[in-house]
Amino acid sequence: MTETSSTAPGDPSTPLAVRLRGIGKRFPGVIANDDVNIDVRRGTIHAVVGENGAGKSTLMKILYGVQPPDSGTIEIGGSQVKLSSPADAIKAGVGMVFQHFMLADNLTVLENVVLGAEKQHGIGRKARAEVRRISDAYGLGVDPDALVEDLGVGARQRVEILKVLFRGARTIILDEPTAVLVPQEVDELFGNLRELKKEGLAVLFISHKLDEVLSVADEITVIRRGTTVRTVVPADVTSRQLAELMVGSELPSPGISEKATSTRVQLAVTGLTLHDAAGRALLDDVTFEIRRGEILGIAGVEGNGQAELVEAVMGMRPGATGSIVLTDQDLAPMSTLRRREAGIGYIPEDRHRHGLLLDSPLWENRVLGHQSRPPSASGRLIKRGAARADTQRIIDAYDVRTPGTDVPARALSGGNQQKLIVGREMSGDPILLIAAHPTRGVDVGAQAAIWNHIREARADGLSVLLISADLDELIGLSDRIEVVLRGRLVGEFDPSDVTPEQLGSAMTGAGSAA
Amino acid sequence: MTRVLRALLGLLAPLLALVAAFVITSLVLISAGDPVGEVWSEILQVPETRNVANIVNQACVLYLSGLAVAVAFRMNLFNIGVDGQYRIAAFVGAVVAGEAWLPGYLNTALAIVCAMAVGALWAGIAGVLRATRGVSEVISTIMLNFISTSVVAYLLREAAVREEGSNTIGTKEIPEGSRIGPIPLAAADSGPTAEIYGFVVLAVLAGVAYWFVMSRTRFGFDLRATGQSTTAAVASGINVRRMTIITMMLSGAVAGLVGLPILFGEAYSYGSTFQSGLGFAGIAIALLGRNNPVGIALAALLFAFLEEQSNPLQILVGVSPEIVAITQGVIVLTVVISYEVVRRFLTRREQSRVAKAERPADPAGPADPAPTQDQEARA
Ligand SMILES: Nc1ncnc2c1ncn2[C@@H]1O[C@H](COP(=O)(O)OP(=O)(O)OP(=O)(O)O)[C@@H](O)[C@H]1O
Ligand SMILES: [Mg+2]
Repeated sequence: MTETSSTAPGDPSTPLAVRLRGIGKRFPGVIANDDVNIDVRRGTIHAVVGENGAGKSTLMKILYGVQPPDSGTIEIGGSQVKLSSPADAIKAGVGMVFQHFMLADNLTVLENVVLGAEKQHGIGRKARAEVRRISDAYGLGVDPDALVEDLGVGARQRVEILKVLFRGARTIILDEPTAVLVPQEVDELFGNLRELKKEGLAVLFISHKLDEVLSVADEITVIRRGTTVRTVVPADVTSRQLAELMVGSELPSPGISEKATSTRVQLAVTGLTLHDAAGRALLDDVTFEIRRGEILGIAGVEGNGQAELVEAVMGMRPGATGSIVLTDQDLAPMSTLRRREAGIGYIPEDRHRHGLLLDSPLWENRVLGHQSRPPSASGRLIKRGAARADTQRIIDAYDVRTPGTDVPARALSGGNQQKLIVGREMSGDPILLIAAHPTRGVDVGAQAAIWNHIREARADGLSVLLISADLDELIGLSDRIEVVLRGRLVGEFDPSDVTPEQLGSAMTGAGSAA
Repeated sequence: MTRVLRALLGLLAPLLALVAAFVITSLVLISAGDPVGEVWSEILQVPETRNVANIVNQACVLYLSGLAVAVAFRMNLFNIGVDGQYRIAAFVGAVVAGEAWLPGYLNTALAIVCAMAVGALWAGIAGVLRATRGVSEVISTIMLNFISTSVVAYLLREAAVREEGSNTIGTKEIPEGSRIGPIPLAAADSGPTAEIYGFVVLAVLAGVAYWFVMSRTRFGFDLRATGQSTTAAVASGINVRRMTIITMMLSGAVAGLVGLPILFGEAYSYGSTFQSGLGFAGIAIALLGRNNPVGIALAALLFAFLEEQSNPLQILVGVSPEIVAITQGVIVLTVVISYEVVRRFLTRREQSRVAKAERPADPAGPADPAPTQDQEARA
C-alpha cells in the first residue's frame, strides 16, 4: 500500500497550490481558527488531522468560500484571492467534496455533474465526452448514464470528485472522505487520489483514521484547538505520535473490561424479511440472536441491508415480516416510541437526518427520543431544568466540546455532534443499543472513550447490535460478527481469529463463508 | 445583561421593518401625487378612546387568526384555510347559540366548543389528506376555503331568519343571557367611554395556552421537532402522521375561535355580512410575530391600528384607505429581511466580544429559544 511518491513533498521548489497565512475565524463562544498557516504543494496529497472541534472543517469551508475568514490571507496558485462564495473558489480552481453527498438520486451521473455547470461544456454530447475523459484520465470508472440511486457509496463519492474536476478544480478538498467507506473502497479512493496527484493536482483531505493518513499523505498538518501545530511528513511520525500531537499530551491507554455474556437471549430476530416497492428483497430471512451483555457486529458493504435491518428493529419500516423479540416482548405491534421505552437506544447512521434537530439547542436534542421518560419529561410536561442538567452530564462524560447547553446543535463540529448522540442514546440504561457507525467522524481519543463507555455498559448487561464500516471497530468491539450480503446473513466470524482481509472478502461475496 | 440587550435588539428587527414600510408607502403616495404628510399625520395621530376600543377589538380577532396559523407554522404546515375554517365555525357557533338549547353561559360554552370542533374537523380534512395521501395542505386548505364559502351560503339560506326591515339574512339572534358582556374602557380624557369585547380575555388565555403547550409540553416538543425534521422525529418515535392530523385540527380549533368575539360581542348572529378575510391577515400576522405569542399580539395590534387609523383617510384627505394594505404587505416582507440583518449583527457583535475575551468558554449561543426560521425555509 505504501508507495514512494514521485514529487519530493518537502521540496520547496514545488510550486504552491494553496498558501494560507494567519487564518482566524470565530463563532459565538468559540475560536474555531486562530493563526492557521498551511502550504499545500502541487502534486501532493496533504492531510489535515486534529481532534473533534479543532477547526478542520471550518478551515476547509473558508478555503472553499463557504465562510469568510475573520483574518488572514488566502493565496491560490501564487496570487492572493478573496473568496466570498463557493463560486469564487471554483473560479480560482478549488473544489470541495462534502461528507454529506449532494447528489440528486433520481438523476443520472451526467445530469448531476452538469447541473449548475452548464456553461462549462454544455449539457449534451460535449459534456458527456468530457465526463468520460475525466473518468478515464483519473481512473474513476464512472458511467455517465448510470442513475445515481443505483450507485454505492464509493461510486457516489467518485461522482462527487468528478463533479469537482468537471468544474476545473486543481485543488480538491475532501472532508472525511473515508468515514463512510469500507476498506476496499478506501483503497480505491486512495488509488484515485494518487492519480490526481500524478496529474499535478493538489488534494487536501481530513481524516480521523491516522493509519490511512500515514499511508496516503505526502504531508500532514496537525491542528489543535484552532491553530496549526506542526506539519510533518509521514516517514517521520507514527500514528501514536500524530495522535499525541493532536491532543497535546500523551494518549491514555484504552481500558479493558471483561466479557460478561450470559446465556439469556436479549434480542431474537427470526425470519425478518422486507421487500422494496419493486419486490426486490432488501432483507431476506434474517435470523440471529443477541445475548445479554453481547455485542453482535454486522459487517457488510454499505447498502446490503444494514440500514433496513436497523430500521426494521426500530419499527421505522412498515412492511417487514418475521418476528423480533426483545426479552420476551414481541416488538411487532410496538411503535418506535414504545420500542425506545422498552429499552432500545438508537445511534442512527445519518446523524443529521435521524439524530438531531440542528436548529434546536443541545438540551432539546437531549430530549429527542426521550420525550416520554425522565429526566427530560414527567407526564406530559418537558422538564427543561432537568434536561439541561442531564445534557451537561453528557457533555462532561463524553467530552462534547461546546460553549454550553443552549447552543444549537448545528454549531457543534461533526464529531462533537456524534458524541452528544452517543451520550444521549446511552442514557436511561438501555438494554439494547443499536449502534450504526457509533464512532463515525470522531477522533481517535473520543473513539476510545466511546468504546469504553460501550464496554462498560456491556459489562452491566447491555446488548449491542453494532453496524460499522470500520472493520477495526467491528473486530475490536464485537463478541461475534455476522456478514450481511444482499440482505442475507452469509456467514458468522469470531472476531478473535478473523482478519480484516477475510471479513472484507466475505463482505463482497468473494470468499466462502465459514 | 446580554439577555436584555438581546431582547432590545429583537425589537430592532420589526422596527427596521416599520421604517422600511414607512419609506416605501411614502414613495407610493408621492408617486401617486397624494399628500404624504397629511396621510401620515392622520394615521399616526393618537387614537381616541373610541378608536382604541376598535383597535383592541380588531386586534383580538386578528390575534386568534394569527395564533391559528402559527400553530400549523410551528410544524411546518401552512394552513391557508383559517379563513374557511373560521367562517364555517362561526356559522355553526351562531346556530347553536341561537337555538339556545342550554341556558345562559352554558349555551355560550356549548357554542364555543361546537365552533372549535367544527373548525378542527374542517381543518382535519386537510390534515388527513396530507397524512394519508400526501396531498399538500396548501392546496387542500385553499380548496376547502371555497367549499366552506358555498356550504355556509347554502346552509345560511336553510337556517336563516330574515331580519326585520332589511333584506340581509342571518341566523337566529343569540339570547341576551348568552352574550359575552363588554369590558368598559375608561376614557383618559373624560370623553365618551368605549367598550371592548369581553372575548379579549379568552384571546389572552388562548395566547397563554399556546405558549405553554408549545414550550412546556411534550406535545409541543413533538410538534416543533416534527416541524424541524420529519426524519429525526420519526427516529425519535414521534408518529408523524398522527401529529400532522392533530396539529391541523388544533390549528382549525383555534381558527374556530376567530369569528366568535364578533359573534358574541357585537353581531349576535351570523349573517351574510359577517366579516370575512380574517384568515389571510392571520398569515401575515403570524409571520410578523414570528410565531411568538407576544409577537403575534404586537403584530395584531399594529395591523388593527393601521386599519382603524386609515378609515377616515378617504373623507379627510381623499386617499383610499387601501394604502395601508401596501404598508402591511411591505412590513411582512421587510421583517423577514431585517430579522436576518439583526441576526448577523448579533453574531458579529458576539464574535468581537469573544475576540476581546479571547477564551473559548461562554454559554452564549446565537439562538434564543423563541424565534425559529422555519417559515422562510418553507417559503
Ligand atoms: N456555524 C457555527 N456556529 C458556531 N460555532 C461553530 C459553527 N461551525 C463550527 N463551529 C465551532 O467551531 C469549532 C470548530 O468546528 P469544526 O467543524 O471546524 O471542527 P472539526 O475540526 O471539523 O471537528 P470534527 O472532527 O468533529 O469534524 C467547533 O468548536 C464548533 O463548535
Ligand atoms: Mg469536521
